[in-house]
Amino acid sequence: MRGFGAFLGKELHETAHTWRIWVLPAFILFSGLSSPLITFLMPTLVDRLGGMPQGFTISVPDPTALAAYVEYLGNLGELVLFALVIAYGGIVSSEVRSGTAALALSKPLSRGAFVLAKWLSQVLVIAVAAVVGTAACIALTAALLGVGPAAAAVAAVALWSVYAIVMLSAMVLLSAVLPAPAAAAGAGIGVYASFAVLAQFEATSRITPAGLMPAAQAVLNGAPAHWQAPLATGIAVSAACLAAAVWRFARREI
Amino acid sequence: MRLIAASVSIGSPLIVALLAVLALVELGLLAWALLDLAKRPADRVAGGSRLLWLLLCLFVQLIGPLIYLAVGRLPAAPRALPRPQAPGGEGHVARAAAALYDAAASRARGAAGDAPPGPEADAERLGPAVELVGVRKVFRTTAALDGLSLSVPEGSVFGFLGPNGAGKTTTLRILAGLARPSSGAARVLGRDVSGAGGDVRALIGYLPDVPAFYKWMTAPQYLRFAGSLFGLRGDVLEARVAALLDLAGLAGVGTRIGGFSRGMKQRLGVAQALVNAPRLLLLDEPTSALDPIGRREVLDMVAALRGRTTVFFSTHILADVERVCDTVAIIDHGRVAAHAPIDELRRRRGGLSRLAVEVDEPPLLVAALEGAAWLRAVEVAEDGGLRLATDDLEAAQRELPALVAHLGLALRRLESDELSLEDVFVDLVEGAPR
Repeated sequence: MRGFGAFLGKELHETAHTWRIWVLPAFILFSGLSSPLITFLMPTLVDRLGGMPQGFTISVPDPTALAAYVEYLGNLGELVLFALVIAYGGIVSSEVRSGTAALALSKPLSRGAFVLAKWLSQVLVIAVAAVVGTAACIALTAALLGVGPAAAAVAAVALWSVYAIVMLSAMVLLSAVLPAPAAAAGAGIGVYASFAVLAQFEATSRITPAGLMPAAQAVLNGAPAHWQAPLATGIAVSAACLAAAVWRFARREI
Repeated sequence: MRLIAASVSIGSPLIVALLAVLALVELGLLAWALLDLAKRPADRVAGGSRLLWLLLCLFVQLIGPLIYLAVGRLPAAPRALPRPQAPGGEGHVARAAAALYDAAASRARGAAGDAPPGPEADAERLGPAVELVGVRKVFRTTAALDGLSLSVPEGSVFGFLGPNGAGKTTTLRILAGLARPSSGAARVLGRDVSGAGGDVRALIGYLPDVPAFYKWMTAPQYLRFAGSLFGLRGDVLEARVAALLDLAGLAGVGTRIGGFSRGMKQRLGVAQALVNAPRLLLLDEPTSALDPIGRREVLDMVAALRGRTTVFFSTHILADVERVCDTVAIIDHGRVAAHAPIDELRRRRGGLSRLAVEVDEPPLLVAALEGAAWLRAVEVAEDGGLRLATDDLEAAQRELPALVAHLGLALRRLESDELSLEDVFVDLVEGAPR
């Protein structure tokens, strides 16, 4: 793992200096602020739509803090994960394509350190963005709708974060294997869709990482949640993806 | 069912303030993006189309201006930076490179308690810096290297010549640990390149043919990053960075690398390759993007490193090789066509010395030269001069002026016209079996 610290520092600086800082953190923060606001305004907006034929009525439930958190978690599970898959299609391969990896890897920086520093820097970005976005969501929800089940929301976002890290690890592997970022992003959408399908079946949802999102929703709603096995398999799948990515990248010619 | 159950109503000051902030942010970003777009020339807009960015900003609320501001603006081309006046005048770059090595060597001696190098270190130093044995590299069905074997003594300046596609860059990538041979052995300073990993890479400096840098960094940031990958820290790193910036003529340049010209990038590439004061410096076409002054400085620097480190210098510019290299290998189709000190290569291929002669009546001299014992061939050049080939240069130089005087001719030119490396190169490459 020679050069890990130096390369991790470069990755974190790069995140702050380039477009990367705008993508995931902006999406998460946007979801954190827009979810309570939309939940709060929705009844009024529907009421003011008007123009309904006589006899038709639309009944909108009272906006609650729980509904705002559910909306936020939904955005994280769809919009943000989709953005993650697209943004990280070239997490490893883009440096190889641009030629910057050749200069770095001709120095005593190990291939494993190269891959793992990229992964860890983005884990930190996701974690910080999730903390900031969730804090913003809870604060705005508290101002508009009351605090509600904030602790459950935090626990649900923690489970989502593990799910996001599983997807990130899968993208690191795909980007180490496939030279084209678009191809890796396409394959990543396939992984995302496969997890969504697996989550629909109770048997697979209870034991695979695909069950992390249903578990997060259950935690938020105060329902019995089966999160232990998905959490364990999620960590195992992430570790396996990283090991495979390092193995493959170590054999790749730059 | 009540429409609003919360204590905050749609018209409350909090909501109005929130909506106002959102609207202000959106309008501010839109105004910023549109003003920037109006001022910016089309060649500094990503994709080159201002209309597309305008439509994106106007019709994709909030996100459009954000995307434009994040990735749509290209950096300005750098001002034509005057080449910094070297404090030491001519030869400054060479002296700076030599000083860098001397300082690194002194620091290494200090770290080792000024202990003299032991026999083991001597033995290691006496071995070849680069050793390639039967290296093959196959890409699908094409052999880029086809049994390449050569040995480069430590401390030498080695020229690695070949036409485009001969396998020069592939060889350097293997030595830098970026590619692996399909078969054969590649050793650097006695260690197998693919097996030793970081231990070997810690001893080398590498400049690829087209160096690519992180565009968002400045030159000092990149050199600090490169140095930190070698474990350099603190004052040592800062001193090294300052020396290399000076050497590269980039001291005081605060522009991001994304705005550098190709020549500036090439000079930065040379600097980063020296950051660890490497025992083997691999340079792939180091002068290809440089202006004449930059080229001379790099060649002077390479020459100054002779004896301090081993320089493995790939190029197709024959004049560069003739100027600085001790030994040369010419490769073609992935094989070594010739490998010898330059003078020996000239002798081996030529065998004969050449003389360029100009007189006022060339046909008279040609007729008089018939039967001269030292003459092997004579031809009339396009400029009317004569080109003589001889196996006894001394006799030719002694007898030719006497013969010209005897004929009553005016001798306008008599020069030794040595076989150039270009002659050898063309001869070898064009004569190689396909």
